[in-house]
Amino acid sequence: MAIESLKYASPDTETKIEAKVFPRPSQHTAGIVDWLTTIDHKKIGLMYGMAALFFLLVGGIEALLIRSQLWSHNMEVLTNREYNQMFTMHGTTMVFLVIMPLSAAFFNYLMPLQIGARDVAFPRMNALSLWCFVSGGIILNLSWFFTGGSPAIGWFGYAPLTDTRFAEVLGDMGPDFWIFSLQMLGLASLLASFNFITTIINMRAPGMTMMRMPVFTWMTLIVSFLIILAFPAITIALVELMFDRTYGTNFYDFLEGGKPHLWQHLFWIFGHPEVYILILPAMGIVSEVIPVFSRKPLFGYGLVIFSGAIIGFMGFAVWSHHMFTTGMGVVATSAFSILTMLIAIPTGVKIFNWIGTMWDGRIRFDTPMLFALGFITMFMIGGFTGIMHSSVPIDAQHQDSYFVVAHFHYVLIGGALFGLFCGFYFWLPKMTGRMLNEKLGKLVFTLMFIGFNLTFFPMHYLGMIGQPRRTHSYNEGHGFETWNQIATIGSFILGIGIAIGVYQFVSAFFNKRLKPAGKNPWDARTLEWTLSSPVKEYNFARNPIIKARDQAWENNYGPKENHSQKEPLDDHGVHMPDRSWYPLLTAIGLFVMVIGMLFHASIDASGELVRNYTVAIAGGVVSTVGIIMWSLEGPAGYHLFPKEKEE
Amino acid sequence: MTKQIHLSKFPQRFTVFIYGFLLILLGSCSRIDHKQSALDPKGLVSQNQYDVFMLSVWITIFLFCAVGGCLLFVLWRFRAKSKEEAMEVPEQMHGNSKIETTLILASAIILVILAVPTLQGVVLMNRVPDPNDQATLDKLELDRSQIEDAITVNVTGKRFFWVFEYPQYGIVTANELVFPASKAVRVNLRTEDVIHSFWLPKLAGKMDLMPGQENFMWFIADEKKIRTGIDKDGNPYEVDIPTAMPSVFDGKMRQAIFAKQAFTDEFEAVGGLFYGQCAEYCGNSHAYMSFRALAQTDKDFDEWVLKFRNAQNPNLQPSAYSSQNNYDKGDVVTFSDKKLGDDMSRDFRAVQAVTKGQNPETKPDAWEKVHSDDFEKGKALFSSLQCVQCHAINRTGLGAKGPNLTLFGLRTSLAAGWMRNDETSLDKWLRNSNDIKFGNLMWNGEGIDDRHPLRQLEDDDEKVSQLVTYLLDLK
Repeated sequence: MAIESLKYASPDTETKIEAKVFPRPSQHTAGIVDWLTTIDHKKIGLMYGMAALFFLLVGGIEALLIRSQLWSHNMEVLTNREYNQMFTMHGTTMVFLVIMPLSAAFFNYLMPLQIGARDVAFPRMNALSLWCFVSGGIILNLSWFFTGGSPAIGWFGYAPLTDTRFAEVLGDMGPDFWIFSLQMLGLASLLASFNFITTIINMRAPGMTMMRMPVFTWMTLIVSFLIILAFPAITIALVELMFDRTYGTNFYDFLEGGKPHLWQHLFWIFGHPEVYILILPAMGIVSEVIPVFSRKPLFGYGLVIFSGAIIGFMGFAVWSHHMFTTGMGVVATSAFSILTMLIAIPTGVKIFNWIGTMWDGRIRFDTPMLFALGFITMFMIGGFTGIMHSSVPIDAQHQDSYFVVAHFHYVLIGGALFGLFCGFYFWLPKMTGRMLNEKLGKLVFTLMFIGFNLTFFPMHYLGMIGQPRRTHSYNEGHGFETWNQIATIGSFILGIGIAIGVYQFVSAFFNKRLKPAGKNPWDARTLEWTLSSPVKEYNFARNPIIKARDQAWENNYGPKENHSQKEPLDDHGVHMPDRSWYPLLTAIGLFVMVIGMLFHASIDASGELVRNYTVAIAGGVVSTVGIIMWSLEGPAGYHLFPKEKEE
Repeated sequence: MTKQIHLSKFPQRFTVFIYGFLLILLGSCSRIDHKQSALDPKGLVSQNQYDVFMLSVWITIFLFCAVGGCLLFVLWRFRAKSKEEAMEVPEQMHGNSKIETTLILASAIILVILAVPTLQGVVLMNRVPDPNDQATLDKLELDRSQIEDAITVNVTGKRFFWVFEYPQYGIVTANELVFPASKAVRVNLRTEDVIHSFWLPKLAGKMDLMPGQENFMWFIADEKKIRTGIDKDGNPYEVDIPTAMPSVFDGKMRQAIFAKQAFTDEFEAVGGLFYGQCAEYCGNSHAYMSFRALAQTDKDFDEWVLKFRNAQNPNLQPSAYSSQNNYDKGDVVTFSDKKLGDDMSRDFRAVQAVTKGQNPETKPDAWEKVHSDDFEKGKALFSSLQCVQCHAINRTGLGAKGPNLTLFGLRTSLAAGWMRNDETSLDKWLRNSNDIKFGNLMWNGEGIDDRHPLRQLEDDDEKVSQLVTYLLDLK
């Protein structure tokens, strides 16, 4: 352990003013203050992950309520409005508060380790991203407690249902919470993405060329580009919607000449790349796991990455396949139909390459590999039903039926969530230094796999025999009951599986009886496995000099010239930046601003609408001050002097 | 460096189990002709959609077996059989561009197989075939007249019911679309509030109703398919036209449905009855926004149109009795009737020719009551309880807030297709519609609160029964 440390004093840093207000926590800070002020990418990644797992349980409970309501015809577990709120919150939560932040957690934790960097390019911006995500999640769930309760508009909030004109509760605030929460979450994603791109482009270790980067890092890069290109569309859409709702503009109000179609285009120009934002990280994880458990390099590395990039690129050219039934005319529907079919090719390429990787391998079936194989199978089914939907005549029957529900759950649970669980089982030994219990892991996989298929496979059939999605009730006599009951039973099995999995992940950090993992328990291939588990706060004691693609593997099995080298230890040690309060302060400022905006309007005694922006402005001032102060405070920090072997 | 290699037999057993399980699931979906099933097409457009779907199903089953089989083979063949083998280092192969290229081309070719019928299907869905294009008509096995005599229906979606307007005939109805089975039906879709989606699975798939825009779809039923089906025991059957498509205008359809259909009966005995549903989330009661489409023979359809036109023709409504007029036998007038109550009037029909001044009071023998007392009282209640502010009866009134109730007694369903339209359901519905359809606008709409007379009906047996009599006698 590096014990010596020096206070880092940079000559051009004036920190006198702020030091009195928010003294920077020092090197040995621990406990809650450490977590609130940390700028370490690993801790931020862990917090991202833990918050997302919490929201996974919240969204899961919402899903189970939905499934209970659909147990039989004319059930009364929930009223229709409660049910509509549930599916809206379930969708929004799972997309924005679970799958995306879980991916961000892995990006944060692993990407710097995989490219041989000590942290991301902008560590404080990274912390701001985390706190924006947390406050976005809080804002969304605060909506339960105010007028109208949570939004009941569906996760894609189609105009004009979101218009105040069509609110079914007087003064319904749900959609407002939804708008501002998505804006905050978008901000979080954008901040993180710019950070990741800068890091990957600029901070790779010597010798880590682009084509030597691990596939997961490549997917981080592609997804980050997708996010910065896709989120502006929904940001604009949400701003317009906010103006419509708050100030009576008419972007989407058709009675005043607005265009509901506009919302759908803007939403899906974001929304379709979003699908790939959700699935590409999981594909990256699986592309890391399968080579390790087959003891072979990824088959067609270049092609896998290229197809990932193609998927990302073409993801921007297929959005209108969500709108085949909105009457876009023959030409547009045909064009988007063909483009959508084309996107199946690069997706298929990935599956071929994963199988090619296993060919002639020595395949082991540990829990991460099981989840990876589950991912391939389930994602294949989801992909195939996706090809079906790309065909307009088929989509005319499937659109907004349970068939579509089955399809996107196969992609998002069977695909994304299985991939992310695969990542947890694979990398938690690296994060905690402990091996997870294999038996428990396999139990979780079995429960999840069986529960998942029981829940969602019957939905294909339910959709085909005519059950529309987003209906809180159905009449008897349609033949829906049996299969809905099977689905509900399955959903509880899936829920138990996920709950045990989450328990296992969290307990891995505290359970001291688990076996120690060592540096490379899986005999894995990429750079992060050359580091100790858990990884030291400075990541690399000495900068590695990369010689080959699968560096950890090459170090063990490759020829001598492929072994990585290390830059000599620096005389003045490893500079570690100080922790900072300002990212948290800035996020709190933004949170207050949002709350101020949400509650700025009121009706006074004489019935006049009064707008009061004091709180919003105060919040804005706080966040601006936060940004200014953090620009002024400089990196500061201290030096660590690890020994040769300590990394 | 430490390496801990784990081996287990678990996955082999697991995969066998899972694939078996998926097969069982697939196998158990054998029954496909449920009320709203897209797997039981009864029309040209839906048949096309079904055919493309089945093509895609076979393609994907083939792909799933090919790729999945390949995956299983690889997992089996290259599994590490021992701890020693798990530590071996296989050849580190990085790829094979020939195999990759072949697979990419193969997937592209498979997509072309699906793309061609897709594009043909897009055109078919969006454009009614040109009646002058004999080649296309032959291919689709259509008769020229089936297209030329197509009827048009303007569908307007509202939260949470459907307005069906027949511009060719100038009539408006709601929630039950009556159409001739042999003719193409052009459907123009509009909405007055949020987005809805018109989904008629057995006939035509779906199309959204977009605010500020008119969308189009069309369908044509197949009489032969309407007459055939599979019964409960799985045997195919074929019935004659009056059984498959009982006439709507004289109430035979309603009787046939009530006689044969229990709500718990999954398999529809009346072939000409189709179920539809709003498929785009539109608010609280989206789930309740269903509708029905009733296929008719040409003759029965014409009869229905005639009856409806007469009912909605303002010139044919009975006018108030005038002492200046002579009346022929069969003429109907409204005249005040003190027996019903103060300010009440009722319809009288002349049983013989009536000369000037012989009103029902002065010459009762010449006139007969057209309706029962309950009907007349119900009719009066319909106005006094303010029902009439939202529901038009015997008028077209497109702008009305609620469904048009003209000839309501011929309807087979109530509450936008949610319940059977009989005395029991209507009684329940009138007493407390919120219990049945939480959030419906008849109970919760603008300006309706606890003081509204409608909400006082819950314990008023007499009024409810009069209203039920009135509404169900409208036929």
